[in-house]
Parts: sequence; C-alpha cells; structure tokens
Amino acid sequence: MKTELLHGTLEVMILKTLSWGHMHGYGIGRWLEQHGGDALRIEEGSLYPALYRLERKGWIKAEWGLSEKNRKAKYYRLTPQGRKALAASVAMWQDFASAVARILSTRQPSPA
Amino acid sequence: MTAPNWRRYLRFWRSDVRGDFDDELAFHVQERVDDLVARGMHPAAAHDEAMRRFGNIDQVREHCLTEAAERESQMRRMETLEVLTQDTIYALRTMRTRPSLTAAIVLTIALGIGATTSIFSVVNAVLLRPLPYQDADRVVMLREVYRGNCCGSVSPGHFHDWTEQTRSFAATAASQGQTYNLTEGDPARLVGLRVTPAYFDVFSMPATLGRYFLAHETEASRVTVLSHDVWQNQFAGEAGIVGRQIRLNGAAHTVVGVAPKAYSLTPYDARLWTILTFTPEQRINYGAHTFQVAARLQPGVTEQQARADVERVTEDIRRRVPNEMKERGADVTAFNEVLIGDYRTQLWVLLGAVVFVLLIGCVNVASLLLARASTRRKEIAIRGALGGARSRLVRQLLTESVLLAIVGGALGVLVARVGVSFLVGTGPAFIPRLAEAGLQLDVLGFAALATLACGVLFGLAPALRATRLDLQAELRDGGRGSRTVVRDRMRAGLIVAEIAVALVLLVSAGLFLRSAQRLQRVQIGFDPSHVTMMRVALPPDRYDSATTVVRAFNTLLDEVRSIPGVVAAGAGTRVPMWGISIDFGMQVEGRGTEQMAVGHMRIVTPGYFETLGISLRRGRYLGELDNQPNAPRAIVVNETYAQSFFPNEDPIGKRVSGWQNGPEPEWREIVGVVADIRAFGQDQTIPAELYAPAAQANQAWWNAHQRNMTIVVKADERAEATLGPALRAAVKRFDATLPLFHLQPMGEVLAQSTAQRRFSTMLLTLLGFTGLVLAAIGIYGVIAFFVSQRTHEIGVRIALGASRYSVIGLVVRQALTLAVAGVALGAVLAWWATRAFGSMLFEIQARDPLTFGLGALVLLLAATGAAFLPARRAARVSPVLALSESA
Repeated sequence: MKTELLHGTLEVMILKTLSWGHMHGYGIGRWLEQHGGDALRIEEGSLYPALYRLERKGWIKAEWGLSEKNRKAKYYRLTPQGRKALAASVAMWQDFASAVARILSTRQPSPA
Repeated sequence: MTAPNWRRYLRFWRSDVRGDFDDELAFHVQERVDDLVARGMHPAAAHDEAMRRFGNIDQVREHCLTEAAERESQMRRMETLEVLTQDTIYALRTMRTRPSLTAAIVLTIALGIGATTSIFSVVNAVLLRPLPYQDADRVVMLREVYRGNCCGSVSPGHFHDWTEQTRSFAATAASQGQTYNLTEGDPARLVGLRVTPAYFDVFSMPATLGRYFLAHETEASRVTVLSHDVWQNQFAGEAGIVGRQIRLNGAAHTVVGVAPKAYSLTPYDARLWTILTFTPEQRINYGAHTFQVAARLQPGVTEQQARADVERVTEDIRRRVPNEMKERGADVTAFNEVLIGDYRTQLWVLLGAVVFVLLIGCVNVASLLLARASTRRKEIAIRGALGGARSRLVRQLLTESVLLAIVGGALGVLVARVGVSFLVGTGPAFIPRLAEAGLQLDVLGFAALATLACGVLFGLAPALRATRLDLQAELRDGGRGSRTVVRDRMRAGLIVAEIAVALVLLVSAGLFLRSAQRLQRVQIGFDPSHVTMMRVALPPDRYDSATTVVRAFNTLLDEVRSIPGVVAAGAGTRVPMWGISIDFGMQVEGRGTEQMAVGHMRIVTPGYFETLGISLRRGRYLGELDNQPNAPRAIVVNETYAQSFFPNEDPIGKRVSGWQNGPEPEWREIVGVVADIRAFGQDQTIPAELYAPAAQANQAWWNAHQRNMTIVVKADERAEATLGPALRAAVKRFDATLPLFHLQPMGEVLAQSTAQRRFSTMLLTLLGFTGLVLAAIGIYGVIAFFVSQRTHEIGVRIALGASRYSVIGLVVRQALTLAVAGVALGAVLAWWATRAFGSMLFEIQARDPLTFGLGALVLLLAATGAAFLPARRAARVSPVLALSESA
C-alpha cells in the first residue's frame, strides 16, 4: 500500500535524515524505510527529484565520495541554509501535527 | 555499471548532469540488489525487484535533470552578477581615489555624447524618420527640366498630358501656392495651396475631421480643407468646424475637413487647401510654368520606369508644340529627395563632424587611461601573479571604462536636452520637421549605443595593454615604467590619429568660414539699409480688373509716401527673397521664334528701383510716364538679360515680346538697363530679368501673381522706429479688411536667406574649435606624462651640462614629431573627406590650399603650445632631486 504524502513532507524528512551527517540517496531511502515503517512507504525513485530540488534551493549540497563497500556514491549534506529551513519546517510540522491530533482526539464538541 | 572514471574530470569544464544521475541510479540499484541478495534472494530476481521498487526511471530522470539544469543556470547568473558587482564596486572605489581624473573623463564623454546625440536627434527627425504620409516612399515630384537645368514648375498642359497619357502613377496632382485673406474676426493672411482633388490621394493621411476633396468637386464647389494649425489657432479648435462657411479672399467657402497635425512639415507649409480646376484652354497651355506636380507611383513601378514614361509623353509634347518646348524635358524624383535633398549633405557633414569630436574625446580618455594603467602596473602585476586570469583582468578594466562611459553618457543626455532645444531654437525653421527633433526612444537608444561603444573603445586598448605585461620584469623594477612616449607606440598612435581627425574638422570649419566670408563680399546689387518691406494682396472680389488693381496700389503707395520720414516707396511682384517669379520664352523683334530664350518677369511701380537703390546702367528707370495705361509699352532689363540677348549690341530701343495674350507678339521697347541684383539669395545665380510697369500688366499677369505686390519703403533713421505701426495704419486707412503680412526690415529678410548657411557654419566652427582644444589637451597629457616618466633621465642630462633650451627642445620635438605625423595623415583624410561637401561651398574649392595650410599651421602651433608647459617643467628639473629620488 502506498501512502500519499502531504506536500513537502518528503523534503522535511530528507533534511531531518541528513541532520546527523552526510548520506547517499540509497541510505536516506533505507533510513526512511526503517524508521517510517509501512505507514510511510514511499516509492524509492521519488526520493531523487526531491533531493535535486533541495539541492537547487541550496539547502543540501552533493559531493562524490566512496561508500563503505568502496563504491563511488553521491553523498548529500545539509548546508547552513538547509539547517535553518529544517528548524523552521520542524516547528511548523509539530504545530500542524499537534493541531490535527487535538482535533482528532476530541470526543464530543463542547456546547457553545 | 559505473561510468569511466575520466569522465568525472570533465566536470571541471562542464558538469555532466546526465552522467551523474545515471551513476547515482546505478549505485542505488546495486546497493538494493546487495541487500536483497543478503536476505537470500537470487541475484537475477533481486535486480528485477530493485528496478520495480525504484519506479519509473525515465520520469524520475527527467525531473532530476530539469531541476539540475535550473540549478546550473541559477548558479551562472549568480556568478556573473557577483563578478559584475565586485568589478563595479572595485571600479567605483578606483574612480573615487582619482576624482580629478574621473571628472575629466566623465565630462569629456558627457560633452561628446551630448553633442553627438543632439545632432543625431536632428538627423533622425529630418532625414531618418519616414514622412508621415501613407507609403511616403512612393510619392514622387514631376518637374520640368529647362536646358538641362533641373528643375522647374510645370505648365497645366504638361500636367494634363502626364496625367492622361502615363501609366506609372496611381494618382497625380497639381498644386499652386495661394495666399488667402481670411476675414473672420481679425483679418489674417494665410498661405495655402490650390490643389486638384487627387492631391490628398498622393499625400495620403486620414483626415482628423471630415473629409478631403471628392474627385468630382471643382473650384466652383467652394470647399476648403483646413490645417490642424488653422483649426486650432483661427477657430479655437471648434468641434463643429466641418460644414461651417468661412470667407476666403472674399468668397464663401465650406469647410469639409481638417488635416492632421503631422500633415504640415514646416511652419511655412500650406495652412489650408482649396480646389484647383483647369479650364479647357489651360489644358492645352504649355507655356505657363507655375504649378507643382506630385504623383503616387503604381505598386511595382520604379522611379526610373516612371521617369522614362514621363519623358515619353514629354517627347510627344515636344513634337506637337515645338516652339515652346524645344529645350524642355522632364524629371521624376522622389518627394523625400526634393524635400530634404538640400539638407541631407549638410546634416551628414554635421553628424560626421560631431562624431569626429566624440572620437577625439574618446582618444583623450583612452590616453588618460593608458597613462593611469602605467601607474597601476604594479597593482595589475600583483593581481596577475596571484593568479588573476587575463580575461578576468581585462573584464575588470573594461567594467571600469564602461562605468565611466555610462556616468558620462547619463550626463550627456542632460547635455543633449539643452543641445536639442538650442538646435531647434536657432536652426532655420524651414528645415522640414526640425521642430520634431527631441530625445525620443530611438534617439536615447542611439545615445546608449554610442556610450557603450565609447566605453569599449577607450577602455579596450588600455585594458589589453595593461594586462599584456611581463609580470616578473614589472615586479622586479618596482613598477617604474621604462617605456618612453616615443616607444609607447599605442599612445603615440592615438595622438597621431587624434591630430589627424582634428585637422579634418579644422579644414572643414575653415572652408565654411572662408565660404561665408566670400559670401559676405558678394555684390548684392541693392541697398537694404533703412528699407522695410510688407506684402499686400488684393482679394479678387473687390479688385477684379487690372485697372482697379493698379489704381489700388497707386493709392496705397500715395498713402505710404505721405507718412512723415518716408524717403521713397515703390512696389513690385518680386523683391529680393520674396515673391513669385514667372519665367517664359522671350522673342526679340527681327529674330525668329526659334531663337527664344527665357526671361523672368517682374511687375513694378515707379519708385521701385530708387527705393531699393538698384543702379541704372543705361537708358532710364521706369517712371510716372510709363504708369499710364495708354503709354507706349516700355520695359527695363537687367545686365544679365542685356548680355545674353544682346551680347554685342546696345539693347536700348530694341523690342521684345513674351507672355502675350494671343498668338501675336506684343512688342515692348527696352528703355533701360539696371544692375543685376541677387534677388534669389546671395549664393544663387542671377537669371535674365525684366521689369514691366504695373500699368502695362494685363489681367492674366495679375491673376498669375494673385494681385499680390510687395511694397518697399525707405525711411530716414528717425522715422524707422515708428514705421511699422504707421504702415499698418496707412493700409487700414486704405482698406480696413486688407491684411498686411511679412512686414519686416529688408536687412532681416536678407539675414534669413543665409540663415541655413550661417547655422551650419556656426556649428562646424564650434565643432572645429572643440576638436582643436581637445587635441591640444591630448598632446599636453601625453607630453606631461612623458616628462614625468623621464624626470630621472632629464636630471642626468642637466647634470651633464645640457642647457634648459636643449631640454625644452627635446620635449617640444617629441610633440612636434607626433603633430607632424598627425597633420600629414589628417591632410590625406581631409583631402578625401571635404569632397563630400564641395557643393555646399560658395566660390571656394573643397581642396583650397590656403585653408589646408592654415589648418595645419594652427594645429602645429597648438601642439607646440601644449608641449611648452611640460617642457618648461622639465627644464626646471633639479638634477640633485631627480637623481636622489631614484636612488
């Protein structure tokens, strides 16, 4: 089953993934798969346009390097701008999520 | 499958986004396959599974590549902007550190661009912008050629036959100037045109109000079209003007339309139009050459084809009417050419001259920048040593020069605002569309282009030179340039070019000045001092017969002569610079009609010659005796006439005839010969002229002259001041409805006739002088720099016993070497360039040796003078100081 992600969700999650250090595209995908589980199953290919978009915005930067298995891989890391964008997005997402949660957990509307 | 390793290095030049993406994709799939195999899947199946999980590869790749391309171009833009900002900031800082240098450069460019833009705006308005009429390039003028002299007015017979028998024209129209007394409110005198209805098909433009004339309308329809100007000024832009009746020369006319504002090209153009209709008799009259003919070419027909067509019909006329036509041909020329032909050369010469001044200005700036580049060598060498690419350095220096140019150009537009209003204000108003000159978008575009061109022009040479350095040598000898001015080929070359261009300017200005001087000395043949002129036209409704016209003018002249202080007064159909000139074939008694030659006829009253001070050569003036209707027919001729008709005979007593009523000759006896006068302008040739007494002019003559005479009045100095109002009052006493026009002193009239010539002479002189000053400044700059660079050497010379004079000689010689080379080159250039305006000069050759010599002398003197200041400084160099400084 495939979940339709809300607009911008994937980008925030990528930024978050990269907040601990640089990582290649496959690694990012695997990390999201492990931590998001089935609820956040995303098509692997769709990761890349998001990465390129973030690079264009100047939030992440790509560099070629060697993987653990000594293969050439393209590594992404956050730029200072990206870090700022991540902080802003996280705050926004938390507000959003708690608002949604609040509404969804309300049992009965209190009489006005 | 990874791409070969070497491809990665290509990324130094151009990034390979597609390759990068495929590498990344391959890595992803390989990792996934590894994972799946590690979980126990068969490798082949694992690969399929990895691909399936990835999704639509093509779509993803396309998305990624679009993003990457967008990112690349974003980066490039940023980079360019960053470099430009850096360069600009750096350039501004450099400009601030040398304020006087910056100011000198900016001012030079501002004046150069300002002057060039001003003249270009005039060229653009008069020459380049198409005429406002629809397909104006298809409008031609058809004219008669007499004895190969182009080009004269056309007879109604020619017009009729050309219209009927040619096939080249979509429309042909005849017109004739006519002045109208408009008796609405304050009587006004308006210059108008009588035109055949097709006139507005030839000069076609949608009417502002109403319509133009219809093909079936005739003179008897009494309709008129007003110009925008008359509609606005005489009728206050009244919206209901169409359909209104107005009185023109006493007859009621219906206004049918108003022409657009752009229809009139000069303030002297027709201000209203009425219909011209030819009678059947006129249609076979090939003798009265008094009409202008314009035509619109059929689509696809060329001017040459049309000319051949018209010439074919004219040949036919020559065969049918041999006497009148023997020496008459035809000409077809584009209307635009007829209109501005005279101004084209002049304006291009002016534009050329001003561009030359701009070039000299650019050379000066280039020279200043070259000098500065030499003092900046060390800075540039260091930047080069630190790895600044040459192209980057050139770009930096060019940014500086273009920035200087832009600041100068912006100021130049302000200068041009003043310049354009000066040109429009002082330029002769009869130059078509001069008033439209202004700073329109296309003119501003020209200014911008010229500015950029200047910036690159004066920046490129110094920039390339400055960066083509031997870095090591430069850093080693501490930036003390060892080049001298003579070895500094580039600067020397610039100065030589500058002097050459300045000489061309000086010679051109000199030729115009000498020409003006010659013109001043021309014997005009009459005395304009204390003479005032005014024109009076009698409306046909109240002054119909020849007798009433003559009586009216006689009465009016008596009124004028009774004004206190008036010494003499007379009237004529033509006075110098004004009035209609009608020419026709003249027959001499006792000679056959095949020996006819052309004479220009004037109708004059007694007092005419005396007032204008035209001296008598033989016989007598026309007097009261001839002013009687029944007196024997008498005529006075000018010297040119006497010489061309009677080269070896006494003309007095000979009888001539021309422009008679019927086929029979009407003999008139020559009673006097008067001096030639330059009645068409000081620079114009003098035609064979005849003066007939007013009382002996017939109805046809008065009609052709529209019962119009110019009254000339000579008054003593005390009366001159009040003469204008007194003349107006005299005319009013005579007939209150008569408008009087062109009331002005004769001296002023004469000055106006040379206005155009004086205008271009003044501008050229101004430009020539500017060129001279700029060239002198250029030489001064180079020599001053030469001296400052060689202080050490000069010190050594002085220490070794060189005299001050020899030092001055050394420096001045440097300047003179350059000046002589420049003058030599300039003379060659001028030899070639002055040919362009040989026809504009008066009685002086375009290659006048005296002018060339004087120009060269002035430049050499200026060069010596400019070199003298730095030379004196060099001579005062203290050897001790100069030697210790360099130690």
